[in-house]
Amino acid sequence: MNSLLIAVIIGFFFGLFLERGGLGDPRKLTGVFYLRDFTVPKVMFTAILVAATGLYLLSDLKVMDLSRVWIVPTFFWPQVLAGLIFGVGFVLSGYCPGTSVASLASGRVDALVTMIGIGAGSLLFAVLYPSIQGFYVSSAMRNATLPGVLGLNHWIVLLALYVLAGGLFYLMERHERRG
Amino acid sequence: MERERFWSPYVAGAGIGLTLLAALYIFNWGLGASSAFSLLAAVAVKGLSPEFAGSLKYFSRQLSAASPLKNWVLFEVGGLFLGAFTGSILSGTIGLRFERGGHLSSGTRLLTAFAGGTLIGFSSRLARGCTSGVGLSGGAQLALSGWIFLISMFVSGLIAAAFLRRLWT
Repeated sequence: MNSLLIAVIIGFFFGLFLERGGLGDPRKLTGVFYLRDFTVPKVMFTAILVAATGLYLLSDLKVMDLSRVWIVPTFFWPQVLAGLIFGVGFVLSGYCPGTSVASLASGRVDALVTMIGIGAGSLLFAVLYPSIQGFYVSSAMRNATLPGVLGLNHWIVLLALYVLAGGLFYLMERHERRG
Repeated sequence: MERERFWSPYVAGAGIGLTLLAALYIFNWGLGASSAFSLLAAVAVKGLSPEFAGSLKYFSRQLSAASPLKNWVLFEVGGLFLGAFTGSILSGTIGLRFERGGHLSSGTRLLTAFAGGTLIGFSSRLARGCTSGVGLSGGAQLALSGWIFLISMFVSGLIAAAFLRRLWT
């Protein structure tokens, strides 16, 4: 099957689950930052742990070759700063790139304004690129992973994340019930 | 009840996790979103002024492809729109509206929506992706990149929300 068609199908399920999970609503999207609605961390943490468990299981069973997977490269300080800027943009707009598309799809016109802003921000980066290129490629750690950096087996790291997620979910549910 | 309108976040999260796993299995590549915006910005700039686009070194990689728009992420984001559209139709939550939490005027909301988007677009390029491409996909690979990006984003968002208390309440 054509890979672009598969891309549409994969995107379809991504968008369906995002919207049905409530991530097409800026009030729910920003809720975690105001500590009143924890939908975003619940969805994200669950998605990450399900995919991570599947990925490392398939790799251990030799069904998948992890060395062929494109691991998102680490550039430590650029990604720390990017996260800091991104967080402000997330609170201001109420969206992130994927959820702005999901929100426009359910009729939220302001999401389109944010989408235009994201394009403008990308252009701004391209314009400033020559002067920030040095920082952009600084503190490179290539395809560093938590198990690699910590020197631990991936199942130990995953186990720690399951416990962390379980604890956080419990606290979030309790906090939400109290209103 | 607000809660009944959506699926459990754990069910939706598991669905996204399996979708991400499928992408990793089929393409050796995770989910993404922000690079579609960067690509469209590059193509739009080239359409308006080929000379200006040619002067932007960062865009040259995207624009050098034989047909830049035949891009995996662009089609994936197109599918994302269709999936969210289908979901909101089936659940009856679809409807034209202009979200502006708190008591913002339309003008102020236009400004926050655009300025927030600009910060997101810029920082996504700096990070090599956004909540999807770095946070979700990197996080699931247990890549350091994903976890530092997610932690710094949540810390920053919490601080920003404390200063912008009336924006969404």
